[in-house]
Amino acid sequence: MTVFRDLFWFFRQEKKAYLTGIFILIVVAFLETIPPKVIGIVIDHIKEGTMAKTVLVRWMAVLLSVAVVLYILRYWWRILIFGSAVKLARQLRNELYAHFTKMSPSFYQRKRIGDLMAHATNDLQAIQQTAGSGILTLVDSLTLGSFVLATMALTISWKLTIISLLPMPIMAVATSRYGTILHKRFLKAQEAFSSLNDKVQESISGIRVIKSFGYEQEDVESFRKQSEEVVVKNVAVAKIDALFDPTISLIVGISFFLAVTFGAKMVIAGELTIGELVSFTTYLGLLIWPMLAFGWLFNIVERGRASYDRVRALLAEKEEIQEAENAITAPPTGDIVYDIRQFTYPNESRPSLENIRFCLRRGQTLGIVGKTGAGKTTLLKLLLREFDQYEGEIRFGGHEISEYTLDALRAAIGYVPQDHFLFSATVRENIAFAKPEASEEEVVKAAKLANIHGDIMQFADGYDTIVGERGVSLSGGQKQRISIARALLMNPEVLILDDSLSAVDAKTEERILSALKENRAGKTTIITAHRLSAIQHADLIVVLNGGRIVQMGTHEQLMRERGWYHDMYERQQLESLVEQGGEI
Amino acid sequence: MNDKPLTPKEQRQVLWRLLAYMRRYRKDTALAFALLVLATAGELVGPYLVKIFIDDYLTPRRLDFAPLLWLAAIYTAVLVLKTVISYFQLVKFQKLALEVIQALRMDVFTKVHQLGMSYFDRTPGGSIVSRVTNDTEAIKDMFISVLAAFIQNGVFVIGVFIAMFSLNVRLALYCLFILPVIIWIMKLYRHYSSIFYKDMRERLSELNAKLNESLQGMAIIQVFRQQKRLYQEFAQINDKHYAAGMKNIKIDGLLLRPAIDFVYIASIIVVLSFFGISAQESPVEIGVLYAFVNYLERFFEPVTQMMMRLSLYQQAIVSGARVFALLDHEELAPQNAETSKAVIQEGKIEFRDVSFSYDGKHDVLKHISFVVKPGETVALVGHTGSGKSSIINLLMRFYEFDRGDILIDGISIRDYSREELRKHIGLVLQDPFLFYGTIKDNIRMYNHSLTDEQIVKAARYVQADTFIEKLPDKYDHQVVERGATFSSGQRQLVSFARTIAANPKILVLDEATANIDTETEGAIQEALAKMRKGRTTIAIAHRLSTIQDADQILVLHRGEIVERGTHQELLAQKGLYYKMYLLQNGLVDAQEYV
Repeated sequence: MTVFRDLFWFFRQEKKAYLTGIFILIVVAFLETIPPKVIGIVIDHIKEGTMAKTVLVRWMAVLLSVAVVLYILRYWWRILIFGSAVKLARQLRNELYAHFTKMSPSFYQRKRIGDLMAHATNDLQAIQQTAGSGILTLVDSLTLGSFVLATMALTISWKLTIISLLPMPIMAVATSRYGTILHKRFLKAQEAFSSLNDKVQESISGIRVIKSFGYEQEDVESFRKQSEEVVVKNVAVAKIDALFDPTISLIVGISFFLAVTFGAKMVIAGELTIGELVSFTTYLGLLIWPMLAFGWLFNIVERGRASYDRVRALLAEKEEIQEAENAITAPPTGDIVYDIRQFTYPNESRPSLENIRFCLRRGQTLGIVGKTGAGKTTLLKLLLREFDQYEGEIRFGGHEISEYTLDALRAAIGYVPQDHFLFSATVRENIAFAKPEASEEEVVKAAKLANIHGDIMQFADGYDTIVGERGVSLSGGQKQRISIARALLMNPEVLILDDSLSAVDAKTEERILSALKENRAGKTTIITAHRLSAIQHADLIVVLNGGRIVQMGTHEQLMRERGWYHDMYERQQLESLVEQGGEI
Repeated sequence: MNDKPLTPKEQRQVLWRLLAYMRRYRKDTALAFALLVLATAGELVGPYLVKIFIDDYLTPRRLDFAPLLWLAAIYTAVLVLKTVISYFQLVKFQKLALEVIQALRMDVFTKVHQLGMSYFDRTPGGSIVSRVTNDTEAIKDMFISVLAAFIQNGVFVIGVFIAMFSLNVRLALYCLFILPVIIWIMKLYRHYSSIFYKDMRERLSELNAKLNESLQGMAIIQVFRQQKRLYQEFAQINDKHYAAGMKNIKIDGLLLRPAIDFVYIASIIVVLSFFGISAQESPVEIGVLYAFVNYLERFFEPVTQMMMRLSLYQQAIVSGARVFALLDHEELAPQNAETSKAVIQEGKIEFRDVSFSYDGKHDVLKHISFVVKPGETVALVGHTGSGKSSIINLLMRFYEFDRGDILIDGISIRDYSREELRKHIGLVLQDPFLFYGTIKDNIRMYNHSLTDEQIVKAARYVQADTFIEKLPDKYDHQVVERGATFSSGQRQLVSFARTIAANPKILVLDEATANIDTETEGAIQEALAKMRKGRTTIAIAHRLSTIQDADQILVLHRGEIVERGTHQELLAQKGLYYKMYLLQNGLVDAQEYV
């Protein structure tokens, strides 16, 4: 029940809804005790022969008004209590989203998106249940149970109440025991199901092996065995599951039997009227739900607590990149100077960058090359301040980058990432991502610079074509060029192309590069690439290997050095020859 | 697989097709029904007995011991019997549902194995798995909690009315008013809740899609400083979802339990008025009144239950439609002459002017012709997309071809039975796949005629035994996570052993040495050389060094064989092969070599 304490802040926030809702629930529980009472009174009137039209009409009017009031109140508390629970889910969901936008890349390296999604869906659902059905069950079973008991004992007969309730504890004990066994068997059934799932997964992944050995039949047989196991485990669940209803109706039957037998005795003795006896049995029926509700309540609360703990742990994750006090809010311009002694990713032991020192003048183009894993992207991520914990400094426009606000720093940088991610939106919205209010001309200009305008005009809906996961599928090259246009639209002080030309052919690459040269005069550009042709014309080329700078200079200087750069250049020339079938 | 909304007609078709599965279990269904009717009857007899007690004994104060004892005995006996029967009835219905799903699952899985490779290329593995397991599970939930509940509650409702009619025809007629009212409420509820429920599910999936996309693109969002804007967008969808949720709560509040409870009290008013009015004319039987009140009390809970489960039904129908779409899929694996007695003797392979296209538009193989003599090795080399793998895909009958022919020992591979082909062609893949089970299981696969000695022998032959012997349980070592604890080379050695244990005449190596760690490389090379001995071999090689001793090397470019010959001949040609060789071996030593 501690989850109710943990959620108390919300109950307080919504105290009007909850207090009114609970009050209504209590009124409802009280009103529910009226119809059985009326039944008894009417029966007694009939029995005694005192039933007059006016009496009947009066009591029927009472019943009808109870029915109407109950209908309204039941509707009302649902809006109040279930409505608040939905509100809680909405509030937590927004909080989670806002929190996610503050988390840095290292958070996303640690967590899997699927898990984060599960927290935002399943866990919130369980919490919503706790704040809705949980509260309802708690209040309703307590109030209805005690009201009915009180009415039975105080207005009819406490003796008969005790006698007929004797078997009820057996029901409580039995159902809670079933619950425990059911839970165990259910887990086993789930295990069997998930191993069946694995089995199918394996068959699909290994389909070539199975087909090449011709083992289709045998695999179906092995599937049959496993799925029959699932049936067996589920039948075991069913065998316990099916115990609930018969047990309940058996105990209730015995309870009725006791009530009628002993009640009849009391009727004969004149201690009870026959109408009261009928009311009494109807009350017994009303008691079944509160008895069962408690078991159910524990279940809901248990799940809610686990889920809420997980969500809280997630919300407690700290932001890793902290802004300096009085940070500069104007976006930086000017030279970029790297002076890094060492950088190691969190949770890794080997440094990813060591002794990186170079200076890039404003307006120059920097080319970074090296093998996969040499540290090219890492170098860029530090400039974007995705990671902070390095020894040394990076200066941009005369200040260390940590002296700017994150917003100011990133406003100066247009980044085209390696994995070109597009949102499920129109091409226009994707290009204008950083500046939603951009004009049509701006969007088209950026698209033309990125050499994608022609492709876009070929799409059925032009700039209104939906792309991304749920839109038309684009080639890798098209995605890359839209990503480039997205960054260019910002007209950024620094443009970073992180291996962003890998999927376009040599001619398009050349066209984009020369367009950039023309349009970005006086602005800084950083390009990382596998293909050396992309950086060949850079003012400064840095060759990385194992996180260190192994060569640095212009293309001509590096070609003269006859080192890694030279070998790679020759090799790539030959490679493109082979790709073209050996002829030039 | 797109989820278009199903028309009511399609929904009904899916439901009937699902129900048709119950036909296979006619006997069980009949038995379950019989038990259900008995249990329901037992349920209804209780109040009837109390009615007899009240009217015949209690009211007239005729309290003879013997008949009362009888009455009590009958009541208890019925109670106990009914409890037992209803237990078996419940179990029977659930078992029935589970068996129906089992049959459906077997059908789906069997079907999956009949589909051609092209289907697997296009369909994400996860969605196929979903069809076999999750979708059938959703249908199971429907069978258990919707269908069974509908049948059980339906029978109960009918039973209640039979009992009421036998007590008092006129009053029972009055009570019939309940049925149209309930049906009207149900229809109304079904109509609105299906709209609102669908709306909420759509908002939810929109919400999840937005969240998922934001999480995937978070780096972009942050770099372009759009956190606030996207938060606003998310909050908007969240508000819509909240509004949809509130609508659902309202519709549930208006038409579900509160409404049904209202009808309950209304029906009590009818019964009481009836007795109240008739009491003024003639004496009435209190026991009958008791029984009516009691029946009505039990009547309404099942009705609410039935209504609450309607949404499960909707989901099951959607799942059912997906499952049937897979079952009706016609992209079958290539067919073979299964009754053919043709036997592979020597293992001579011939490609005769084979052209092939995956999509019917672009040919990936153009007029491919070559012969591999028994026991010889042919290597296929070429750039990515040159058509090497397609040649193997056709030879393995993963895809059907329509132009040219592929012959083994002079007979078209279509004219061998599938079993004959599988028995004599062994394929080794680039990424060796290990299954759940022991090392031994992985070598034996489903070939149960293999003895343990033969398995050890096969492992020793490919030198897999050196690392297997070092494992804690040796050949009984459990493979976990598809062999992730082994190196790629070790996994490849196991798959070699698997192929060698089957002792094929023809060996097909699909880049079998591409992902090998340096540690096991030596062992792999030796094993390959041994395996190839005496077997016709077609090898795709990424590293040219591994196929230098091939009897013939075919160089492919854009679906055509552009060069062919031995290693030395091809180097001498100074063509594409020569350049590829230079690329792999460094410029200097290659030039020295030639």
